[in-house]
Amino acid sequence: MSIKEALDLTFSPDAVKALSEMLDEPGWMLDLRLTAWRFFEEIPWPTGKEETWRRTSLRGFKLENYKPFATEVLTEVTQEASLATVYQDHLAELGSAGELVMDGGQALYHHLRDDLAEKGVIFTDLHTAVREYPELVQRTFAQMVPMDANKFAALHYAFWRGGTFLYVPRNVSVDLPLQTIARLSQEGAAGFYHTIIVTEESATVTLMEDYFGGVNGMHNGVVEIFPGPNSQVRYVHVQEFDGTLWNFGTHRIRTQRDAEVVHLMASWGSRVSKVWINLDLAEPGGRGQLLGLYFTTDRQHVDHHTMQNHIAPNCSSDLLYKGALKDHSRSVYQGYIKVWPGAQKTDAYQANRNLILDGSARADSIPGLEIEADDVRCTHGATAGQIPEEYIFYLESRGLDRSQAERLVVSGFFQEVLERVENADVQRKLESTIAERLGVELADLGFGE
Amino acid sequence: MTSTLEIRDLHAGIEGKEILKGVNLTIRQGEIHALMGPNGSGKSTLAYVIMGHPGYEVYSGDILLDGESILEMEPDERARAGLFLAFQYPVAIPGVTVANFLRQAVSAVRGYTAQREEGAPIGSNLMPMREFRKELTEAMKMLGIDPSFARRYLNEGFSGGEKKRAEILQLALLKPKFAVLDETDSGLDIDAVRAVAEGVNRLVGPDLGVLIITHYQRILNYIEPHYVHVFYDGRVVLSGGPELAQELEAKGYDWIREKFAEKVTA
Ligand SMILES: Nc1ncnc2c1ncn2[C@@H]1O[C@H](COP(=O)(O)OP(=O)(O)O)[C@@H](O)[C@H]1O
Ligand SMILES: [Mg+2]
Repeated sequence: MSIKEALDLTFSPDAVKALSEMLDEPGWMLDLRLTAWRFFEEIPWPTGKEETWRRTSLRGFKLENYKPFATEVLTEVTQEASLATVYQDHLAELGSAGELVMDGGQALYHHLRDDLAEKGVIFTDLHTAVREYPELVQRTFAQMVPMDANKFAALHYAFWRGGTFLYVPRNVSVDLPLQTIARLSQEGAAGFYHTIIVTEESATVTLMEDYFGGVNGMHNGVVEIFPGPNSQVRYVHVQEFDGTLWNFGTHRIRTQRDAEVVHLMASWGSRVSKVWINLDLAEPGGRGQLLGLYFTTDRQHVDHHTMQNHIAPNCSSDLLYKGALKDHSRSVYQGYIKVWPGAQKTDAYQANRNLILDGSARADSIPGLEIEADDVRCTHGATAGQIPEEYIFYLESRGLDRSQAERLVVSGFFQEVLERVENADVQRKLESTIAERLGVELADLGFGE
Repeated sequence: MTSTLEIRDLHAGIEGKEILKGVNLTIRQGEIHALMGPNGSGKSTLAYVIMGHPGYEVYSGDILLDGESILEMEPDERARAGLFLAFQYPVAIPGVTVANFLRQAVSAVRGYTAQREEGAPIGSNLMPMREFRKELTEAMKMLGIDPSFARRYLNEGFSGGEKKRAEILQLALLKPKFAVLDETDSGLDIDAVRAVAEGVNRLVGPDLGVLIITHYQRILNYIEPHYVHVFYDGRVVLSGGPELAQELEAKGYDWIREKFAEKVTA
């Protein structure tokens, strides 16, 4: 099928086949895509009565409004300097050991420091991984987030395109963060980025992903994280999509023995965003932090649905989601802690804190607990409040106008989450995304060091 | 030109309760005034009303800066016009570092913020980092403040002395025409009072008018005022030179109460 014909495709098995053919995929991947398509057809569209969809409406979302995939064919460059400045600017904000740049699911550039490649670290786009490391991909792809996890996951697996594949072998510690840029530049296109992170025993890695673009588009991504025994994974997902985009995401992490994971979701962009984040503490000694940041304006709607799933004993999970809301925007936080029988010595915490900046904004928090073990420490709490007037007066008395004062307080409010990342490079990069979103510049980037 | 801050027969209060009952006071740039009065006499109220706290209402009278009323101005406009208030109880702003806050404040007061053009890159409206860093470092050095202070969160976990020093640091960088120091000495031990007073002394000069609000004479051992005013029940009841402060220290406030309480009821 020619690109021209593909342009006219709607979401259908034909489109699935055309995509797979265009990507020159092995048969098993085409089969997987077609199976996923069948799941997609079987799973009904949410009606709004399901618990997870009660507060986030799909009204206004029509799949047929989007092109199943970006059709413009892009070529990969070998030098960072050959990239468009928009990418170079993003890359410059973070000193990294490897970079992967994609647009519309197509790799534009990728680089990994030689010493890491020699140690066996794999950091590449997922299509390359399917070709070059098929056994590793088959061992992981769709193993964490099943194809039938929800309607959107099924659609994702039928149409996934582009994404990060990161593998860190045993005892290898990647000193600097790795970074991915995932852009959607073609207007009205659907994006389906897929991320896989695998760490073997006692490995350490940080991956920061930056998603942007997507005018009048949609994105439906999946993130699968496999922290091996005693390994450490830090994953930061910065969502800066255009304010017209519908965003869906399904993330899942499963820690092995003594593994430690930090997952941070910064939801700055999109018109509507619905993301599920599931942490399975499957073996003893696992520790996980789920962190979230959001700042919503206009009529934005951001919905995070989290699950801290304590299956094994001696694990801890700590969740902190902080958001600030302006105008008529709305946030939904739905968080569930489940402690299975036998998961003794569990520590599970969950907090969702909201700053309401305008009377017309609204934040809903719906926590849930299900505890079936007895030796457990577990707390959860949600707050929604306004900025104390005394803060505003103090800052105004120093010359800041009200809006500057508010934004400065919000940036401080987010700081608690940033501190938990415990990595100065990542914090700085996050601070700059916060500054950009809030329209303030933070002065202390590196101050006094 | 020497600026003047004039408070003219000011009546103000909160929720219909009159606290300031006709304050008259004129301060010129370069002058140091001390305002002394017992607790509850309305000193902080006066400080807040000068700075434009939205919780207080002005019933009558006026506050003039170089002859122009400032009553319609928002607190941030007053700050940009050259007024400063060192708070008796500075609030802690979680997660906002001293450096971060101060760069925004200095940029706002010195007009960088207003210069930002539509669509200009973020940060183009702030004082250049290098210049700011240099000034902040110098100011901290002058006030004997440790450089690590810049990275701490504003007033969070600060001791009483640190809070007051942070206020003086802001005063040093914002370079107002008039500064009201509300009980900058209260709650501090004598070493801390001396440190804060030394800081203030380094900043006073022909370009700064100061109103030191206090109910002790203590801080005036280190900062010599040109004028001393006694504040009682929402008014200035007595004005004089530095000797008035000594008299108050020796005699306490009782004689003021006796002398002026009648007048109020009369
Ligand atoms: N926010 C407020 N609400 C009600 N009463 C107030 C408020 N602020 C001050 N007052 C009252 O006004 C009077 C003067 O208070 P204040 O200005 O703090 O005095 P000072 O600083 O001289 O100790 C006191 O009687 C106090 O109770
Ligand atoms: Mg007071």
